[in-house]
Amino acid sequence: MKFEYFIVLLGVAAVPLIRSFSREINFYKNIKRFLASVFIPFAVFVIIDIISVKRGLWTFNPDYVTGIYLFSLPVEEVLFFAVIPFSCLFLWETVKYFERRMKNK
Amino acid sequence: MMKDYTILAAAGTFIVLILDRIMRTGIFRRKLFWIYWVLVSLLMMIVNGYLTWRPIVIYNEEKMLGLRIFTVPVEDFFFGYALIGLNLIIWEFFNKKEKEQK
Repeated sequence: MKFEYFIVLLGVAAVPLIRSFSREINFYKNIKRFLASVFIPFAVFVIIDIISVKRGLWTFNPDYVTGIYLFSLPVEEVLFFAVIPFSCLFLWETVKYFERRMKNK
Repeated sequence: MMKDYTILAAAGTFIVLILDRIMRTGIFRRKLFWIYWVLVSLLMMIVNGYLTWRPIVIYNEEKMLGLRIFTVPVEDFFFGYALIGLNLIIWEFFNKKEKEQK
């Protein structure tokens, strides 16, 4: 199915997207910090990925991507490098939140 | 044949470790980070596991060691750690700066 890689991304981002607006996580309070933490790794890794594909390190199965390409990469692969940092920051802040809660008990 | 992916993954992880020293974020000394690291590794197993099992991403066996955990190349873990490490270092760097200003 052409949307499979896209669905994987949605699966990764679903909970972070919904829960990142909660007061406990306080994600977007400092928007500059948020954007820098997501988009610097994004830019670095998209460039690395373009070079890696050119050098033949990996390819993408045309059966599972939509066929929309950005900078010679499937759009899903480009999105991957924004979705993962975003979701991982969410996980990190969630872990920190539980640490605070345990300390306050 | 050069093991390009192995070199890339190892170099990426190494650069992130150095960057943490330069930016003085000290995340790798925190116990909480290692709890996070275990969770991230488990999630990587699922996501990269799916991507490599279908396979959605097809690797060139000649460019890597060929060591896999389930279907995930070991290089994938370290490539992922580099991405997530860079991400977290920047986040905590700003966090520290903000606290210092207060």
